[in-house]
Amino acid sequence: MNDSEIHARLVANVEGVGELDTSAGDPCVGVSADAVVDALGFLRDDDECSMEMLHCVTAVDREKQVDVVYHVCSYARHHSLTLKVELPKPEGADEHWHPEVPTACGVYPAADWHEREQWDLLGVRFTGHPDMRRILLPEEWIGHPLRKDYVYPSEHGGIPLELDAVPLYEREGESVGQPAPTPREPGAPLNQPPSEPSKRPHAGGKAPAPEKGDS
Amino acid sequence: MEALEMYTVNARADVYTEELRLNLGPQHPSTHGVLRVELGMDGEIITAARCDIGYLHRCAEKIGENVSYLQFTPYTDRMDYLASMNNNLAWSLTVEKLMDLEVPERAQWLRMICVELNRIASHLIAFGTYGIDIGANTPFFYAFREREAIMGLLERPSGARMLYNYIQPGGVRRDIDENWVADVLAFCDEFEKRWAEYNTLLSGNAIFIKRTANIGILTKEMALAYGCTGPVLRGSGVRWDLRRDVPYLAPYDDVEFDIPVGEGTHGTLGDCWDRYWVRMREMMESIRIIRQGCAQLPDGEVMTKKQKGMYKTPMKPPVGAAYVRCENPRGELAFYAVSDGEASPIRLRTRAPSFCNLAVLDQLLPGCLLADGVAVIGSLDIVLGEVDR
Amino acid sequence: MQGLIDVFVQGFGFSSGFGTFAAYFVLIHSLLGFITVYSMFAIWLERKVAAHIQLRLGPMETGGWHGWAQSPADALKLLMKEDIIPAGANRFLFMIAPAVVFCGVFAGFIVLPFAEGMSIIDLDIGLFYIIAIASIEVVGVIMAGWASNSKYSLFGAVREAAQVVSYELPSATALLPSVLIVGSLSMGDFNTYQAEHGWLVFANPFMPIAALIFFIASLAGCKRAPFDLPEAESELVSGFHTEYSGMRFSFFGLEEFVSMFLVSAISATVFFGGYTLPFDILSVGAAPDVTLFDWLSGSAGFAQVDLLGSLTHLGGPVVFIVKVFALIFVQMWLRWTLPRLRVDQVMVMGYKYLLPWALVCVVGTALIEGLGS
Repeated sequence: MNDSEIHARLVANVEGVGELDTSAGDPCVGVSADAVVDALGFLRDDDECSMEMLHCVTAVDREKQVDVVYHVCSYARHHSLTLKVELPKPEGADEHWHPEVPTACGVYPAADWHEREQWDLLGVRFTGHPDMRRILLPEEWIGHPLRKDYVYPSEHGGIPLELDAVPLYEREGESVGQPAPTPREPGAPLNQPPSEPSKRPHAGGKAPAPEKGDS
Repeated sequence: MEALEMYTVNARADVYTEELRLNLGPQHPSTHGVLRVELGMDGEIITAARCDIGYLHRCAEKIGENVSYLQFTPYTDRMDYLASMNNNLAWSLTVEKLMDLEVPERAQWLRMICVELNRIASHLIAFGTYGIDIGANTPFFYAFREREAIMGLLERPSGARMLYNYIQPGGVRRDIDENWVADVLAFCDEFEKRWAEYNTLLSGNAIFIKRTANIGILTKEMALAYGCTGPVLRGSGVRWDLRRDVPYLAPYDDVEFDIPVGEGTHGTLGDCWDRYWVRMREMMESIRIIRQGCAQLPDGEVMTKKQKGMYKTPMKPPVGAAYVRCENPRGELAFYAVSDGEASPIRLRTRAPSFCNLAVLDQLLPGCLLADGVAVIGSLDIVLGEVDR
Repeated sequence: MQGLIDVFVQGFGFSSGFGTFAAYFVLIHSLLGFITVYSMFAIWLERKVAAHIQLRLGPMETGGWHGWAQSPADALKLLMKEDIIPAGANRFLFMIAPAVVFCGVFAGFIVLPFAEGMSIIDLDIGLFYIIAIASIEVVGVIMAGWASNSKYSLFGAVREAAQVVSYELPSATALLPSVLIVGSLSMGDFNTYQAEHGWLVFANPFMPIAALIFFIASLAGCKRAPFDLPEAESELVSGFHTEYSGMRFSFFGLEEFVSMFLVSAISATVFFGGYTLPFDILSVGAAPDVTLFDWLSGSAGFAQVDLLGSLTHLGGPVVFIVKVFALIFVQMWLRWTLPRLRVDQVMVMGYKYLLPWALVCVVGTALIEGLGS
């Protein structure tokens, strides 16, 4: 079955399934957050679709929304499908805003680790997940790094990380060398958010020009 | 099932026992990298297991959002560092799909040969290190003798022994020299003889079979539900291989090869021995593919014209997303690249096979002995580089 | 050795007690010297055997010819290392464990006959004594594992306890058929019997089985592959000696090779003729009537010393050591070829296969001896 046939079956059997978007790149089916678990369940259990495996769960941080993309595939029928849940960002959404989607663990146990990773890196909370905690980063990490508004930490475990935090050449009144790192209290956060945000590197691989002048 | 029945925990009310919490890793000779598994044990029996990953996290996905599509290719090498060609290929296919690039035919055939050589090299490591996990220290050295030959062969076109950065969006970087094909065929002849040696040394060894048969049984339903792919899935009896079923590289349609699956030869279907034996036979199938590839290698360019400017000015693909799956030695690697028309993707997700295969470990370990636990981890053949990225 | 005692007492004029003490002092220290030199050689040999099985060369640089000085260099390095005792370890037990392990094994050497009359002491119950005293090693290993305050060490120690103690049963039982045939537990008597009647391993159809069972059981007793779970590198990091470093660690390494020598020596003596050649060619190892010691102690003149006999007497240790090294080589060969058995499989093998067959050998030999006489 090709994408539009699967989409037609899905629309006929599950509420809350949107359009098949073929405009940009891979076709994907828009689904509302409430309907995604039912849609996945239908895709798995239906004989014609028979999507035995959840291949990947990805969250994408766009300007105005956060997308959660599910790739499912079928071994019996040799086809696959992409589902997308769009979660619009409210006004004034900052690093404390966590979009929520129901967990797919009940349908596919494979979703367990994928969802933990998306929570860890992007801060998408999957409600009902049995073990919603970080998987790749340490437990005490602050922030969700793959977000576009992620602010790089100013220090890590006592070692300063800001670009101009350490003078690499002598200036008036200052000496060269690293300040001694202060030991970290156990349980204290590993990374401190900086007092003022540092510049993000640009896309295309060009580093920003280093700041001249006072530190 | 004999193993599980023998080891039910014997709870006697008058004997005071505690659960032992043992930490396997992150520094451990048998965890195949920096993997930490917290084990709850009752004597030698594992009663609970919890994986703790992230020790090798190198922020590849974040880096991908800040470099261009071509510049990301070396980062893919370093994810599954034992199957660099395969990773390069998956990424190149993703970029080609996004940018709608045509790849010359010679490049496609060269890609296939290099990818299959790398598959053999990766399975050789799986074979050697599995022997060490079980206690046989010698097959490792024999496997590396063959691996040296492969690394030498792959060094000639790409310039590197291990992290090749050879298969790039648009084709391959450089053409092969004139004797390369003959040397590859000579290697194939040698390897077939050596493969028989490996079977004598390890596969048929009674102690090895006792240590791996009926251990870590992964049923077909569980494998599919947990997203396991590659030899882990094929060891459970599912005859699925992307090279045959969803061909991502045109030359795979023109070569003949079989897909080995586990058959429960020495124990239950889906045990460690089946997964090991699938990898062994896959090496021979790769030799078949390489021979046919070398015989049918066409002439022509090795890199598409459009790519030649990519070193100076990064190309900007149209808005869209692409998800491409490839059959890696460890399973199905997929890259999901989302583009909004800029030189770097806005989201780059790697669906790593070892990451998904490892998720099933928490279910496989309870009920095993500690020695079996090591055998199970070895049979999943994970590489922490791609688990953590 | 009586001859040396006579030298000291009658030749040098020491008092009987002091002479005896001096004789034993000299003998035990020379045996200790032999053991240490042998261990260094055995470590070098293991590395070479392993290397050649693995298509490598092994030590080649240190000292020039095939790296012969590698072992002394390693010993020197280990002596100079910092002595680290983990903070939570039980200091006393941690420190004496290597000594207990080594002494237990070394104590078995005093009854080994290198030639006729050339054992430090020829006990009437020699074989029984060796089996008993070598068990002390188990206590030492458990002390090491417990005192290290580390879960991995504890695992190694508990596995060791289960394995070595269990395998003492088939190991000792497999030696019984020889005792039945010879009629004595003294190690010297085994050699003299085999000089007259041929090697015990060919005495009756059960003896090769008994020899094989003893060889396998002794591999388990030495914690050699395929029974090396107590120190299973790929599972337990280093097993019971994970927390040991420097000289203490080298004691455990020494103990492994010394116990390999001991069990190979028992095997050679009890089954393969000890210090005699097959068919007792040249009476190798048999003591002449008048030895050099008689001359040194003054009870005989130099002209009466049987020089040729003394020469073949000295051939005894040579033959003995050649046999022991042949068996050691087989042990090393097996280590680098076979994978490791799991602990429950080790137990099954010991109790369900080796022990019953050893008993069959004992009963079979008893029947043959009883019917024959």
